[in-house]
Amino acid sequence: MAEDITTLVTGLGFPSMEAFLAVMFLILAIFGLIVVVSTIKPVLSMFPYTYPNARVRARMGRIFSEKQFSEIIESGNLEEVKNYLRGYPDYAKYIDQYPLEKALDIQLAENYDLVARISPENSRDSFKFLLKKWDIRNLKSIIIAKEAGLSAEETMDLVVPFGELTDKLDALIDADNINEVINTLEGTEYPQIMEDAIPIYQETGMLLPLESSLDKYLLENLLRTVATPEDDNTSYLKNYVGDLVDSTNLKIILRAKVDGLKYEDIEPYMISDGYQIREWKLKDLMEAEDVSGVVSGLEGTDYSTLLSDAMADYNDSGSISAFETALDNHVDDTAQKISLKNQFGIGPMIGFLSRKEREIKNLKIIARGKREEGFSPAQIKEMLL
Amino acid sequence: MVEIALGTALAAIGAGMAVGFAGLGSGLGQGIAAAGSVGAVAEDEDMFARGIIFTALPETQAIYGFLIAILIMVFTIMAGKVLPASLGLVAIGAGAAIGFAGLGSGMGQGITASSAVGAVVENEDMFARGIIFTALSETQAIYGFLIAILLMVFGGILG
Repeated sequence: MAEDITTLVTGLGFPSMEAFLAVMFLILAIFGLIVVVSTIKPVLSMFPYTYPNARVRARMGRIFSEKQFSEIIESGNLEEVKNYLRGYPDYAKYIDQYPLEKALDIQLAENYDLVARISPENSRDSFKFLLKKWDIRNLKSIIIAKEAGLSAEETMDLVVPFGELTDKLDALIDADNINEVINTLEGTEYPQIMEDAIPIYQETGMLLPLESSLDKYLLENLLRTVATPEDDNTSYLKNYVGDLVDSTNLKIILRAKVDGLKYEDIEPYMISDGYQIREWKLKDLMEAEDVSGVVSGLEGTDYSTLLSDAMADYNDSGSISAFETALDNHVDDTAQKISLKNQFGIGPMIGFLSRKEREIKNLKIIARGKREEGFSPAQIKEMLL
Repeated sequence: MVEIALGTALAAIGAGMAVGFAGLGSGLGQGIAAAGSVGAVAEDEDMFARGIIFTALPETQAIYGFLIAILIMVFTIMAGKVLPASLGLVAIGAGAAIGFAGLGSGMGQGITASSAVGAVVENEDMFARGIIFTALSETQAIYGFLIAILLMVFGGILG
């Protein structure tokens, strides 16, 4: 047998068995290296997401099911809703510390904060930037509270102690008027962001320019953090942020159409780059005569069908909330699709934040339904997202 | 300097491949499963035992590799006989069989285990099904292990 092998080896042109074995070893080593590298590479890209995904999936499992929501809706009053939530550690720690709505917002903010802290490096900037959402939300609440003449204590109930402005929150709440709020914000990026919108708000009392300038800052910069995707995960994140941007732009346009505003009035607050709906298309949509013109102008995009379906509700009620709900649902659907498609990457984190937002919105709807007289459980159930 | 026969040197490479590649796959798989389990335990302390089970599953590939390496060493290097080169090549074949099978199987099992931990922490009822899915990736390592044994038996190492 050994002689046969030696004959074969010399027949192949190798001077000796050792030379043959050396070549064989080299081939095997190269083959092994290729196998190892090509097998390990995709696995290593999943590795940074395993820890954060396990954590968010644990929290995903604690999101209230339809059955649990039904039980909450059946509560006799707001106190019973609070009692129900006290049974869940995620909520229990805040329920007795803050008013219900604020407790819910804090719980949501805590989840955003967790995701920003544990997300892998290539997506951390985006999730960290997303935390500014709480600064922006707080600023909006404080400005509205100042205009409405609410006391510091009442204003305090509206703000969520998360974000980069946490240290300034007390001073912002104690400010006597909007100008003082702006002065307190010196040293941050916000005075500059709001400088055009504040006078319009003060003159007209319209919240749209103010909210939109802050939303524009958040989304435009969020889109910038995902401008050049490095891999599948950042591409999916860009897709999600892009849908948020488009849906925000469409909401602004639809609201502007209802309020009878011109393109020039809202142009400064639009996120000009857009995602699927680019700048020229946005301008086209604004030039439409009415809301139905905007909807038909979206022909050929993902938004056409969903807004056409909401058109009937709009015609019945005259409120654009049907469109807003449809657009929010679309963003949620995108998040859930990403969550399923990219289970070993960023998907579960995006899916979780979206579902958590929805849970908190629904709990707030229930809280409002219980606070205001005359809403039956069936009516509240119908209002849920 | 100790003179080592070519066959013995080749058998040493085979033993190294068996435990090396299988250990690499097992280690990576276990690392992925452990990272997922730590995340689950951070949210739910009761997940510790189940996390350990899922993390331990990708250990088996390293055990198979280790066993084949031991067998190769015991019947060749440690037997003290001069080994022909052909037997050394058989040892490399056996080592490669369990080594590469263990590499793929270990990593695959680690990914499934990590995903199963996520599923269990989300929904406790997923434990048994998670174990079944995770165990499926074991088969490739078993094939590699069987072929390695057969190679050694019929290749003359264990004969």
